[in-house]
Amino acid sequence: MIQLKTMLNCIDNSGAAVVECVQVLKKKRPATVGDRIVVVVQKQRNFGSDSTGNSGIANKVRRGDIRHAVVVRARKEMQRPDGSIVRFDDNACVLINKAGEPIGTRMNGVVATELRGRQWSKILSLAPMHV
Amino acid sequence: MSPRLFGQLAHIPFRSIRSPRSAVHGHVPVRTFGIRSLNPPKTSRFDIGPGLPVLKSTPTAALERKANTLPLRTGAIAIKKGMTGLYDATSGKRIACTVLQLDRVEVVSHKTLEKHGYFAVQMGAGWRRPANLTKSLLGHFSANGISPKRHIYEFRVKDERGLLPVGKLVNADWFKVGQYVDARSNSKGKGFAGVMKRHGFGGQDRSHGVSLTHRSLGSAGPSQGGGSRVYPGKKMAGNMGNEQNTVQNLKILQVDQKNGIVVVNGSISGPKGCVVRIQDALKKPWPKVKLVSKSS
Amino acid sequence: MANSSSILQQLGCFRSLLTKPRVTPVNTTGRRMLTTAWSAKPAPIPFPKELPEQFHDQIPKRFRPDLAPKKIKIYPPPAQPKCKDPIDFIAQTQLQKLDPSGKRRELFDYRRHARSVKPGDIIRVTFKNGDPFAGVVLSIKLRGADTSVLMRNQLTRVGVEMSVKVFSPNVESVEIVQRTQKRKRRARLYYLRQPRHDMGSVENLVANYLRQKRALTGAKMGGNRKR
Repeated sequence: MIQLKTMLNCIDNSGAAVVECVQVLKKKRPATVGDRIVVVVQKQRNFGSDSTGNSGIANKVRRGDIRHAVVVRARKEMQRPDGSIVRFDDNACVLINKAGEPIGTRMNGVVATELRGRQWSKILSLAPMHV
Repeated sequence: MSPRLFGQLAHIPFRSIRSPRSAVHGHVPVRTFGIRSLNPPKTSRFDIGPGLPVLKSTPTAALERKANTLPLRTGAIAIKKGMTGLYDATSGKRIACTVLQLDRVEVVSHKTLEKHGYFAVQMGAGWRRPANLTKSLLGHFSANGISPKRHIYEFRVKDERGLLPVGKLVNADWFKVGQYVDARSNSKGKGFAGVMKRHGFGGQDRSHGVSLTHRSLGSAGPSQGGGSRVYPGKKMAGNMGNEQNTVQNLKILQVDQKNGIVVVNGSISGPKGCVVRIQDALKKPWPKVKLVSKSS
Repeated sequence: MANSSSILQQLGCFRSLLTKPRVTPVNTTGRRMLTTAWSAKPAPIPFPKELPEQFHDQIPKRFRPDLAPKKIKIYPPPAQPKCKDPIDFIAQTQLQKLDPSGKRRELFDYRRHARSVKPGDIIRVTFKNGDPFAGVVLSIKLRGADTSVLMRNQLTRVGVEMSVKVFSPNVESVEIVQRTQKRKRRARLYYLRQPRHDMGSVENLVANYLRQKRALTGAKMGGNRKR
């Protein structure tokens, strides 16, 4: 149930920590796992800018940037074809560019398997775990 | 001198010597002097003759129009027993399904084109104590040799090939696993509902000076420019639900002839225990079954 | 004078009471009540015996000799379907197909079987397609063929809950990793979602259990004990 003003965790290393949903794409209903949304970066991770010296990788996005993202976890339970139900404790997303490729190179955190059916296999393979 | 006088004068001799030919036509041409067009020869006011279009308001024409949208065979009356889930053996998918039961469904009588203007099979289901039935219905059942039925419904069929013999028991195996049916039943009644619930209106503001009309509709129509009246069909509060609803193209998943159970895919309107009429789906090819001709 | 007469006038209504016992035997004819007098119902005129058929129409229907209620023959109904509860019937046939041995039923029917899964236990469910999922049992919904179990776990420090239909053909096996130490006094442990009650990750417990099991069964990876 991700809609306008929903705050999501960003779980990739693009540099965003918390983003806000401003638009759900291709859908008239609230977004769920696998849906593409437009987000505004609200908080950025401030590691890496001075310690590693590799600021380019650490912060690909800045606070206030408008980016596309894919929802990878949702608090709202989703039903699978065999009748089982999965829900997470938070809403999380991964930033992508306009072409649909992830901006970050790594992801930390579990994601839902529903991404596979929605042409987000790359994100699924980047994730350390999926449920 | 008025022409009327002339006419009167002219009439007298003509009546007396009226020819048989003019009597057949039913109109006597009157010869008037003075104004000729006073009594012009009349043609019939009915449009008769060859080459006229065939009327569309006859039962035959209606049947012809509905030829493609009438099922070939009758349906059945079932009772909705509830919903459950079945697992697809190959994919492991869980399919929501509705369980229906057929209870002593029999053909009660027929409606025919000659007598009633259309073809239909009247079906009855269940059993009702004769003491609780009107005499006219009892007589109807008795005349057809059927036990008193609780529910009676008609199922329209295309032609007389669809008229099952009276007294024929329709069991669950009337429907084949894998075929599609349309299920019509009354939805759950919601009572007198407001416009927000009944039609999904937005209601009015919680505040901004709105008092006591937070869930009511706004205006019922335009003012002087629009006729200063409420247009017919205006959505308003009223009784919601408990109206017939047809769910089309439900797949038959299971059939149990012994227990009269029919399991269909998906949901059907109405509470548990409601009467559901199921018939071959209109928008799918008819099931390949042999039609039983009328032989009662 | 005027006063006394008016009083007498008012009392005049009681005069009938005083006089009644005297009057009643006299007034036997009941002339005053002619209109309400009871009269016996006139006996029906017998139907004339040798009345020709053609005159029957002129007599009211109810007096006609041949009037008898028309007999309507009531036909007996055919046999009723035997199954009274089709939903239960469908569920039982489903269960027989999905769980022929009845072991899965025993494993989750926690109200009847002592060795079953109970709320608070840690279980591990393996699927035919997909990864296994382990977690604390929050609730067991006993609904016949639709029985489901709700598990909770923390994966990468994110709480994940999964409800599984236990008789789904997709579920390969269910094993109990750890039973709850103390019987939980609630059937639904939804309070475990609160941060102060959250059990955290059970991955370590499950890993331990798997290691032990492997040692017992003999270094076989991925072998799941079927229950």
